[in-house]
Amino acid sequence: MSDTDKRSITGALAAATCTLLGANAGQPVQAQEDPGWDFNTALLYYGEDDDRVQDLSVSLLARRTFVDDRVLSLGMTADVLTGASPSGALPQGFPQTFTRPSGNDAYGIDANLLPLDDTFRDTRVALTADWQQPLGRLYQVNVGASASREYDYTHFGINGKIARDFKQRNTTLSAGVALARDRLDPVGETPIGLTPMLNVGDLSNRTGAEDKTILDVVFGVTQIISRDLLVQMNYSYSDSSGYLSDPYKLLSVVDGVSGETIAVAQTPGVGGPSHLYLHEHRPEDRAKHSLYTQAKYYMGGKVLDVSYRYMTDDWEIDSHTIDLRYRWPLADKRYIEPHLRFYSQTEAEFYRLSLTDGDPLPAYASADYRLGDFDALTVGAKYGWTTDSGNPMSVRLEFYQQSGNVAAEQLIGSQVNQDNYPDLSAIILQFGYQFGN
Amino acid sequence: MKTRLFMLATLMSGAMLINGCSSMGVEPWDRDVLAKEEMQLTTDAIEAATDDHIYFSKEASSGGRGFGGGGCGCN
Repeated sequence: MSDTDKRSITGALAAATCTLLGANAGQPVQAQEDPGWDFNTALLYYGEDDDRVQDLSVSLLARRTFVDDRVLSLGMTADVLTGASPSGALPQGFPQTFTRPSGNDAYGIDANLLPLDDTFRDTRVALTADWQQPLGRLYQVNVGASASREYDYTHFGINGKIARDFKQRNTTLSAGVALARDRLDPVGETPIGLTPMLNVGDLSNRTGAEDKTILDVVFGVTQIISRDLLVQMNYSYSDSSGYLSDPYKLLSVVDGVSGETIAVAQTPGVGGPSHLYLHEHRPEDRAKHSLYTQAKYYMGGKVLDVSYRYMTDDWEIDSHTIDLRYRWPLADKRYIEPHLRFYSQTEAEFYRLSLTDGDPLPAYASADYRLGDFDALTVGAKYGWTTDSGNPMSVRLEFYQQSGNVAAEQLIGSQVNQDNYPDLSAIILQFGYQFGN
Repeated sequence: MKTRLFMLATLMSGAMLINGCSSMGVEPWDRDVLAKEEMQLTTDAIEAATDDHIYFSKEASSGGRGFGGGGCGCN
């Protein structure tokens, strides 16, 4: 085979790959805007069933365009969260009591009910700032910062990105880096991992605030394939280090034959756990790799938006995400956009439903359902229109459903009869309104 | 090992993508469709950020479209 043949085959394979990936390079083309402020606002309600998490959120994104395509963006989001979250402890055929995370009180869970910690209540305020400007004729740079504050959590982050256009701006290569430093200061301070839940008033297994550092790096290619097709592909690496556990999550310690949680002797007059529960403990490092590709295809007024993400990490979690949106224009600048999202993940290597009494303690363990093996589906639609004054408005309604899978070999004795994995159903309702300039 | 394979696959597909797409694209005067608001990769920044935040809180994956880092005590 001649070199020319090899090159043509390589080129054909590459073109085929490009087509399969829906790929195409190219800078996302931004319409030139007149200088001035633009505001994008949203009101969100997120509600889970069974009295679990409820979130009411208000967001504002202000964007000021200056001459020479320089853009300043300032964002603010305020959340009010209430409700209960699964603690990780198993439901049992008898009532259970737990010490609250604060260590100040105890609460009870009826027989056959999933233990939920109902002290979850928080407000969160998040701020972002981003500056974007061209650098020479072909480069564009972004620098940004973010901060957020919750009762028990503080976040600070900085980020930067550079992009360069090639081939008459049909191809854009970009590289970005973000660094975040977060501090966790839990109610009742941080429990030491894999130590037992203690009685009310006993904080002897608690330490102070904990930190974590997150470094993200993203490399991207955007390609314009044709007049109607645009494709992006990103590779991301994320490294987290520090305290990565959830200080409010527990594991039940069970009998190796019956599967029932081990009862502990309670001190008369002192509230505390009825059974043996350990605080979870995750590794102090996590490295994630993601490959993300997105295609936008214009079909005579309708727009198909498809994306796929594959993620793998050194906690042995693999995930696949497919996102489909189809924007369908209606009369009078109205549109409807159905949305489907599929998600599937494998469990972390240290995820386990419970710990067995008498077995040596593992180095790491968590029963957090978010680290388990589950599939999720989002189904919904967005409806958009333009007000008489010419401002875009939208409303979207979506349903999110998570279904967990617990391997049969993880179930011991009576656990077979319980609904151990906390399946989740949630509703997402969001109103959007844009105005300005 | 899995990570190395992933990196290799990413690099290879990236290189093929760039090479394979080298003959593609449009002339500057053919960008009317691509300039439309609904053809931007992110059409609604707040909605995208909201979804990223919800799924970051409920799933073990984050990022991909952009940075996936912290900012929330929910995970």
